[in-house]
Amino acid sequence: MKKIHRAQTAIILTGIVCGLLVFTAIFVGCASSTPAQPATPAAPTARPVATTAAPASPPAAVATASTPAPVYTYSEGNVVAYTAASLKGVSPKLAEGFGKMYPGHKVVFNLDGTQALKTQVQNGAYADVFISASNSYTAELTKGGYFVDGNVKPLTSNYVIVILPAKNPGHIQSLADLAKPGIKIAMEDKTVPAGTATIACLASLAKSTYSKDWNTSVFSNVITYEMSEPGVATKVSLGEVDAGFVYESTYTAAPKDTYLAITIPKKDNYLQTYTIGVMKQSTSRGAATDFENFMLSAQGQQILKDYGFRPISSS
Amino acid sequence: MNPAQVSSEKIKRIIIRTGAAILVASVTIYLALPVAALFFRTTPDLFFTTLSTSEVISALFLSLSTSAVSLGVVIVVGTPFAYVHSRNEYPGKTIIDTLIDLPLVLPPAVAGLALLVLWGRAGLLGQYLSLSGISIAFTTLAVIMAQIFVASPFYLRQAKSLFEQLDPAYEQTARTLGASPLRTFALITLPLTANGLISGAVMTFGRALGEFGATIMFAGNLPGVTQTMPLAVYVGLEGNLATGLTISILLVIISFAIMIAVRLLARGGAFHV
Repeated sequence: MKKIHRAQTAIILTGIVCGLLVFTAIFVGCASSTPAQPATPAAPTARPVATTAAPASPPAAVATASTPAPVYTYSEGNVVAYTAASLKGVSPKLAEGFGKMYPGHKVVFNLDGTQALKTQVQNGAYADVFISASNSYTAELTKGGYFVDGNVKPLTSNYVIVILPAKNPGHIQSLADLAKPGIKIAMEDKTVPAGTATIACLASLAKSTYSKDWNTSVFSNVITYEMSEPGVATKVSLGEVDAGFVYESTYTAAPKDTYLAITIPKKDNYLQTYTIGVMKQSTSRGAATDFENFMLSAQGQQILKDYGFRPISSS
Repeated sequence: MNPAQVSSEKIKRIIIRTGAAILVASVTIYLALPVAALFFRTTPDLFFTTLSTSEVISALFLSLSTSAVSLGVVIVVGTPFAYVHSRNEYPGKTIIDTLIDLPLVLPPAVAGLALLVLWGRAGLLGQYLSLSGISIAFTTLAVIMAQIFVASPFYLRQAKSLFEQLDPAYEQTARTLGASPLRTFALITLPLTANGLISGAVMTFGRALGEFGATIMFAGNLPGVTQTMPLAVYVGLEGNLATGLTISILLVIISFAIMIAVRLLARGGAFHV
């Protein structure tokens, strides 16, 4: 009898200890989540307590808003960049270029649809830099006071293009063909910036060249609304759809012969503007500013240009 | 026993009781509080307004109908399969057992990709189907296939173990009294396992209703066609949060009802596992 009792006690005590450990781990984990771990940005789930993280990590005290000249050590030169998914193709090159310009610095990209990144940040996710592909989401974040000095800088821009699988299973030769019955189209959801841009393009094309019926037919051919721009590109490259609406940069960045493309005339196209901003919550603001400078520098802009992005001045 | 011993026993018991209470409370709070938070984020007004939007209604209808079809297929095919499987020994039985359970631990995203590279237009089998004009990926059928893939193990496992545990003597008696195998199955085997089978079916329905990862990869996201409730929650989070909250609450209510149903069945059924 006594033995059973002791075993029970042991089990319950172990349980309590484990429970407490787990809870402590969770709270400590939340409180001390610093951008230093490259693993954190990969997690899509928002950490609601992360906003309180700043005072917990010592380097934060060094680089505050009241210090105009960034004082920081290179050991804290890790930048977590929440980045619009359409920069996925160019992101390794950007990371490389940043490391070259600022040796010792490192950038980790969290690539997702701007709408998803925005939601994550609003729910407490940690980011040093935010690269947005949408003016309206940027405005929302600016209003919420998320950026240093409450402002962002224009970074680059991108046009919408139609891509087809290399084998062109839908035998699409022109934009008119997109309305043919039986054609399968992938586009982004309207909450995704590229989706908003696509809808604007189609409306403009319907008005200037085609018809309302054409517009309706194109939309009735859509078989999936993806939650990010690369999601559409993947469906096209897999050959699962006949056509997809993506940014020019995605077409340019892809290996040759991955896609065929049909361009949308400039007058009907929608030039998406990207912005970059340093987050107020950043605990390595120095490095974050360096990253912003790199992105706006001739080198950064050249890399973007190589991947089909259009410099801001051309717009 | 001397008094000192008694009081130390008493203290021990109090410590254990308190510890147990803390443990129970913390686990419950950890699991229940997030669900409760969903209800705090919305208002009844907002809930009912968004409930009547076409987006929510079509997602609700699509989810319920596809899950019902999935469940029907699982029961019709799964019940005889589980019976045959559990009553016979054959080579490779363990391997089949493992394969059946695999979707339980497989990440749904992997399941979705697997389905896509098999049935997709450029997939292993899909390329031949598409030649004859049949397309599966990105259709409502794909939603159902994804649900069956991830949810069927819940029913199959339950049915298998029920049939294994059922004493064959009942069936043998019926057979010796002249009942046909089909009659025996319908009048002896099924009634004796019904409670357990139904609770397995309810779990399968619940899992199918909550399917997300495989669906979004294999069936895409098209309102009214492939956008089930979990997908609408995902889209809602990044677009209209009210929609996401409303559908989430609907799913919480349905899940809760499902769990209560399973509970009641488990209490009523002697053969429940």
